[in-house]
Amino acid sequence: MSARTTMGIDIGSTASKCIILRETPNDGRENGREIVSKALIPFGAGTSGPVRVIDQALADCDYRKEDMAYILATGYGRNSVEAANFEMSELSCHACGAYFLFPGVRTVIDIGGQDVKVLRIGKGGALDTFVMNEKCAAGTGRFLEVMARVLEVKLEDMARLSAQSTERVNISSTCTVFAESEVISQLARNKNKRDIINGIHRSVAGRVAGLARRVGVEKDVVMTGGVAQNSGVLLALENELQTDIETSPLSQYVGALGAALLAFRKLGSLEA
Amino acid sequence: MTMSTIGELLNQFDMIASNPKAQLEKYIAGGKQAIGCFPYYVPEELVRAADMVPFGVWGAEGTINSAKKYFAPFYCTIAQMGLELALNGKLDKLSGVIMPSICDTLRPLTQNFRSAIPQLPFIFLAHPQNRRAPYGVEYTKSQYGSVKQKLEAIAGKAITDSALKDAIRVYNESRAARRKFVKLAGQHPESVSPIHRSAVLKSAYFMDKAEHTALLTELNSQLEALPKSDWKGSKILLSGILADSKNLLQILADHNMAVVADDVAQQSRAFRLDVPEADDPMTALALQFAGQDYDVLLYDPELNKRPEHVVNLTRENGAQGVVILMMQFCDPEEMEYPSLKQALDKADIPSVSIGFDQQMRDFGQARTQLQAFADVLSSKR
Repeated sequence: MSARTTMGIDIGSTASKCIILRETPNDGRENGREIVSKALIPFGAGTSGPVRVIDQALADCDYRKEDMAYILATGYGRNSVEAANFEMSELSCHACGAYFLFPGVRTVIDIGGQDVKVLRIGKGGALDTFVMNEKCAAGTGRFLEVMARVLEVKLEDMARLSAQSTERVNISSTCTVFAESEVISQLARNKNKRDIINGIHRSVAGRVAGLARRVGVEKDVVMTGGVAQNSGVLLALENELQTDIETSPLSQYVGALGAALLAFRKLGSLEA
Repeated sequence: MTMSTIGELLNQFDMIASNPKAQLEKYIAGGKQAIGCFPYYVPEELVRAADMVPFGVWGAEGTINSAKKYFAPFYCTIAQMGLELALNGKLDKLSGVIMPSICDTLRPLTQNFRSAIPQLPFIFLAHPQNRRAPYGVEYTKSQYGSVKQKLEAIAGKAITDSALKDAIRVYNESRAARRKFVKLAGQHPESVSPIHRSAVLKSAYFMDKAEHTALLTELNSQLEALPKSDWKGSKILLSGILADSKNLLQILADHNMAVVADDVAQQSRAFRLDVPEADDPMTALALQFAGQDYDVLLYDPELNKRPEHVVNLTRENGAQGVVILMMQFCDPEEMEYPSLKQALDKADIPSVSIGFDQQMRDFGQARTQLQAFADVLSSKR
């Protein structure tokens, strides 16, 4: 019998991610799955992103959609993925995906396009408890996007510029709209963009750390989501929480990875 | 007369809970006067004793426009929507309103309302926080006396002790029937969905209580006759001020979460305590308020009694977790939350707090949190 494959699709607010996993001989943990394809399209729920991300993930491997033994969707747009056999909350998927990559994980900080989640991971990678931001873009990827636009810098350059900061500039407000005014005011005072960006990262870190402390921060701490690729935010958060934070080049795919892993569990329960 | 099925009865309650306007018009057309009763702890028995219909006004789902003139944006939507309804003429058919001032949000509402809607007879009610001491009971009694006088003026008739005693009996029967229903609904979640559970309890605010009790007694007896339930989903306790959002309750149903008990202000907090027996019915009403407890709005010299109460309620009813529906900008509920969460954590009871208000249109984030919470509960079973 050929190895079974599953697909995990994470439709976020700003990006769609897809992972295809193949079964491999189990080594005793949940590992024993191999990533055979992954894709990311920078368009999320309600766009062409969901369809395109599936097409791209399939195009990059030798499988067809029909070869997938189970397809599990997650993320903000999870209910609109027609191809999916099942949908699950991204909180459960992030917990599962993070545990797969970092078996020692106890706390996951996921900063996505429009929300922030902090998860406490229990034994065996199960989601124990969690907290999410309220209806507010402060501290999210969207917040950083807005700030990048105001500062006329590329989002991907923010970490590099932040690292060159020489003067402390405080962005006190964490409301996106008010923070935007504050940034404009700092620019009007001829403050250096690098210092302002550094202040923005600390502002995000302060907001996220407040949320994390509600759950209680226990090591190992792992950061997932698109913002995890911004080393400026990561560093600011490490300073704020006074702890090392691990991340992975797959940080943006953790939800989709968790979905593909949970798809195997669904298969198992169907077969039981 | 053929007996209605459980489904038919539940749909009847749902129809009433979803159409307060039709209910109000029905009573007015029948020659009754109706009095709007705002949250919390209105002695509705006085309204009934004056031969009028108490009509609950706990805001409504909708958009706030006209009331924005009177409030900051970060103001409890129950208060804002209460005034919005009045400004939009939705309360025109009422003969008056009783408005308690038990929290810092309701107090300014009373004054804004009085100023914005001068044509509607207004009855101000100030409950004492030191409610148990004899002077507290006397104060409540004097406040209720003032409410009574104003109701008599609106009704054009005196409220007799005998009518008040009869109203107290009707209300105690209603409270008992609702408490029984809460237990039965928790025991038969396959038959009573979270939406229907809410409809049964909410409809009591728009119905003559004797009519409501009669219908509920029929439902309760049919639920009692059902075989023991074999519920495979999870069991939760609901906490908060309101739990009547169909969108939120449908999410609970979608993820197999049964509401087996509640600590909701509009639900069980409102009917857990009967009016005691006393020769003087006004004293009896005041003593009922004196005995109220376990509410964020009520002064608790021991500070942590309420969180412990919620923990006990959760355990006694076999709930596996607590869903807190946190009304946005409700200072008392939000300020109490850390101690409630701490007590639940200490008792190893999973909980989740879902922020919402009566203007909420997008339930995506709530769905994500509740779906994940269902996973948490299921992994602990």
